[in-house]
Amino acid sequence: MDVSQYLDIFLDESKEHLQNLNTSVLNLEQDPENPDTISEIFRAAHTLKGMAGTMGYKRMQTLTHDMENVFSEVRDGKLKVNAGMIDVLFRCLDAIEEYVSVISETADEGDNDNEPIIKELNDILAGKSAEPAEEKAEPAKEAAAKADAAGGASGFKWNINELTDEERKALEDAMMSNKKLYNVTVSVQESCLLKAARAFLVFKAIEERGEIVAAHPSTQDIEDEKFELDFSLIIASEGKLEPILNDIKAVSEIADAKGCVLDAEQASPEAEAEKEPAVSAEAPAEDEKAAKAEPGTSVAPVKNEVVKKKPEPAASNASAKTEKKGTSKPAVNRTVRVDIEKLDSLMNLVSELIIAKNSLVSSATSDASGSSSGLHEQIEYLESVTTNLHESVMKVRMVPIESVVSKFPRMIRDISKQLGKPMELYMSGEETELDRTVVDEIGDPLMHMLRNSADHGLEMPQERIAKGKPESGSIFLDAYQDGNNVVIEVRDDGNGIDVDRVRQKAIERGIMTEEQAYAADDSDIINLLFMPSFSTAKQVSDLSGRGVGLDVVKSKIEALSGEVDVKTKLGEGTTFSIRLPLTLAIIQALMVVVGGEKYAIALSGIQTIENISPRDVKTVESKEVINLRGTVIPILRLDEILGCTSQRDPDSDMIVVIAKKGDKQAGLVVDQLIGQQEIVIKSMGKYINKCKFISGATILGDGEVALIIDSNALI
Amino acid sequence: MANELSTTINEITQYIVIRIGEEQYGIDIKYIDNIVRMQQITRVPQVPAHFKGVINLRGEVIPVMSIRIKMGLAPDVETKDTRIIIIKVDKYEPIGMMVDMVKEVVNLSSAEVERVGFDRGDDKAAFAMGIGKHETGLVTLLDIDAVLQGL
Repeated sequence: MDVSQYLDIFLDESKEHLQNLNTSVLNLEQDPENPDTISEIFRAAHTLKGMAGTMGYKRMQTLTHDMENVFSEVRDGKLKVNAGMIDVLFRCLDAIEEYVSVISETADEGDNDNEPIIKELNDILAGKSAEPAEEKAEPAKEAAAKADAAGGASGFKWNINELTDEERKALEDAMMSNKKLYNVTVSVQESCLLKAARAFLVFKAIEERGEIVAAHPSTQDIEDEKFELDFSLIIASEGKLEPILNDIKAVSEIADAKGCVLDAEQASPEAEAEKEPAVSAEAPAEDEKAAKAEPGTSVAPVKNEVVKKKPEPAASNASAKTEKKGTSKPAVNRTVRVDIEKLDSLMNLVSELIIAKNSLVSSATSDASGSSSGLHEQIEYLESVTTNLHESVMKVRMVPIESVVSKFPRMIRDISKQLGKPMELYMSGEETELDRTVVDEIGDPLMHMLRNSADHGLEMPQERIAKGKPESGSIFLDAYQDGNNVVIEVRDDGNGIDVDRVRQKAIERGIMTEEQAYAADDSDIINLLFMPSFSTAKQVSDLSGRGVGLDVVKSKIEALSGEVDVKTKLGEGTTFSIRLPLTLAIIQALMVVVGGEKYAIALSGIQTIENISPRDVKTVESKEVINLRGTVIPILRLDEILGCTSQRDPDSDMIVVIAKKGDKQAGLVVDQLIGQQEIVIKSMGKYINKCKFISGATILGDGEVALIIDSNALI
Repeated sequence: MANELSTTINEITQYIVIRIGEEQYGIDIKYIDNIVRMQQITRVPQVPAHFKGVINLRGEVIPVMSIRIKMGLAPDVETKDTRIIIIKVDKYEPIGMMVDMVKEVVNLSSAEVERVGFDRGDDKAAFAMGIGKHETGLVTLLDIDAVLQGL
């Protein structure tokens, strides 16, 4: 059987489960008793095992199986979680991760059996008190199935209250027409590859003898293969249960089918609580009980409840119960996996649409003389539609950075052990969203910065205690949205950057002369850290300090049109902040004219626009500055920088666009303002991108090309 | 051997003949994506003089170069005959080349092309890969690779 078509899904899902496991095991380390975490881990391990088995990755299956065994014991309270066990588990997760990465490269799991880890897992199992491990370590499903067999209907995962209105209606109809209802649970073999196809055959088999009234999971989900190994059905039939079950079992790759007569009491909520006696009482009576279910019984029969739809106490009780169930289950978002290329092409179309809209706007304004106001209204409408469309397409491309940062707590934990420095990572803003392409790229830079903080930033514990700091170091990873940007900060409460040492190093390395080094201010010196092969670590460690690092971080972030900034205070810590644009392709820009040429300046970099009299321009250290409400701001004459000649009367007031970058400001002198416009950024190609402060070009409504000025590069 | 020779001789290449200054040049048609009329070129600051700027070619921003300046001739003077030849070669990004005039398309068999040794020191000669003999006169064949490489 060719399973290669499922490989992508397998890889995606394995990674998800692994991430999940990593997070959960970390939680477990903090809170070893938490039953939710334990069962979460168990579930993820079990699913991983099943998936690996389905795909035929035996080694991975064996490993996950043994891991699952350990958890089965933990869940049953037969084993206690301890530090040694957590370490083994992490190593185990790493090994699985390695399998997955080998599989993603070669479609084969490789030949590493990871025997030491398996042995350790088994040692953990053997180390516990009584019972043989193997038997107890049966997967939950099988255990549940056994319970099913023993207790008849008691193992069903759902009750009648979870039915939708249509299903209730169908149930009601079936009862009215004197059919019998059977509750059937079908389990497919673990090795089954096309579960959906088997389920379909089961459906067909059933439909010959009766009709399926309700299913859990829903029939749609079953057809989409959204179930693990079993599903439950309510079948209405005139015939008996046995032949139906036999028909189902006749379908190949079906492990088992169990069923019982569904009667009124079982379906009602109270029965759920005391179903054991109820079942034993009703089970022998296979006949008309279900259909009859006289209201004489102690509990409200389903018939009444359904038919009358009375707000009986039982019903309200039931709904309360359902609600409670609802909250304990994680809400599953309805999602569709879409190829990023499709989104890219959608995005391109939106870009085209915006350009077309801009040209409509410009032609409408150019012959605004007497043309109908209706046209303007329509264009305004079109404008709002394109803006909304653009926003929604952007949102589709946005993913929370969580997918990237969630692996960091584990990484910090490992580093902490490796270096013998106690440290904690505190994260906030994981839900902050960024364009998918950006999210894919920021993982490495962030990881590097965290390692940098952990390795170089934080001091050794003795040193910290000597300084009166808490023994355990803290690293913070905070993400938040700031206007059109997303800011991610990596902060530590370590020693900070020793600017003088960097200065010394710069002189040693011959990067600066002694005079230059002492003349340069601290921020210039700190920026040296971003130069290739400039490492101040006294000792090159395994983690960082090999001279490849911050420069790579910087170039990567800049390639994403972002910027990196460092703030540090000796003895108190360092903050690296990354500022990234929310979107790469379409931005809001201010259109200006300089020397008869049109330019766009990204609105996100603009603080205000001021009219300044030429008399207010002062010269300080041969640089032109203005004093704007108490702040001295250098001004840059764009005409000189761009190499064209201003066509503005030099004596009239100047239009100054105040641009900001972090806490630095500069005033850009322009000839004329055109207005705000949404622009589509186009690359200018390699030949002509030598100019640092031009970040790209855009096509205006009239087809003309305007260049985009990167105000950050000018400041 | 004789066979091989004859196929080489019979090989016919189409060239677009353009005029730059007083001379005729030929560009192998396989390099040419499009020929467009002169349009507004947006100047880009701080780039070498032979880059005239960028144009909008059906929604793409394409840089435009002046082959005249690259060859050390006087700067282009725009006339109604001035055209921009859009060159697309796999190895390089698309680029527009301003020329004084596009004259015609000619077929030259390899027999009509003479590979001559050029003085590589001469700017003009550096971009030539041969001379084509055609009824309308001699056509210097441009070595597009050499032109693009030096950008």
